Amino acid sequence: MNYANWIQRVGAYLIDAAPAVILSLLGNVIAGPSVASDGMASGPGPLYFVFLLLAFAWLVYNRWILGGQGASLGKKALGLRLFKEQTGQPLGFGGAFLRDLGHIVDSVICYVGWLFPLWDQKRQTIADKIVGSVVTKG
Amino acid sequence: MRRQYSIPERLGGFGVAVASAAALWPAVSTGTGLGLPCPLRWATGIPCPGCGLTTAAVDLTHGRILASLGDNPAALGLAILTAVTVPMVVLRHLGLVALPAPWPARTRRRVEVAALVAATASWCFQLHRFGFI
Repeated sequence: MNYANWIQRVGAYLIDAAPAVILSLLGNVIAGPSVASDGMASGPGPLYFVFLLLAFAWLVYNRWILGGQGASLGKKALGLRLFKEQTGQPLGFGGAFLRDLGHIVDSVICYVGWLFPLWDQKRQTIADKIVGSVVTKG
Repeated sequence: MRRQYSIPERLGGFGVAVASAAALWPAVSTGTGLGLPCPLRWATGIPCPGCGLTTAAVDLTHGRILASLGDNPAALGLAILTAVTVPMVVLRHLGLVALPAPWPARTRRRVEVAALVAATASWCFQLHRFGFI
């Protein structure tokens, strides 16, 4: 099996994250918290939360709906596929959601879990090991 | 099928990515205040073995070697690994060095133990740096 390497997976993740980051930054620039020239601080406006909600909607659609079908936008762009190792089938919405929850474990241990694909035989993160998923190229 | 890159070479490639990111990081973090938080320290107040790595990498790429060692010596370790493995990869692509051979199981186990010892030493270093020991 041609497992995707670490840099391909980072690339896919950056593409996945880009729209959410752009939406969050836009929300921050347009209606984020600010400090006026007289030193008075004002909280974020309603538009700020609309943009945050849009960023979250993108996350749900891209990571859990598209990802659950086999490839998020980033993975699709780089020709990667995400599936359950045992069945060869996509993870589904719940599986993709659980996999992202599993990334908390990858982060808690000094982010080392994210580096596992550098040395792991199946190029899996700990989240992949938890849900039994693999990412392949081509 | 033989692997194209050995694990140390992959880590060396990671080192190149870290060095590139660290060179750009101050431009991103200075204006925005962004940082890479340590989840363990955020939740418990206790530093993890990887604490200080972002600062250490930034210091190292800006030539502040002693400061980098004071933040987290692992960054220098990664830099040395990168400096050794990247030329090896270049030589291989030039056809001057053979494909990497997998290590025997015993060597692999020794390296795993050494990595665990290094992680423990790094944790002790960080606990000392933050005044826990």
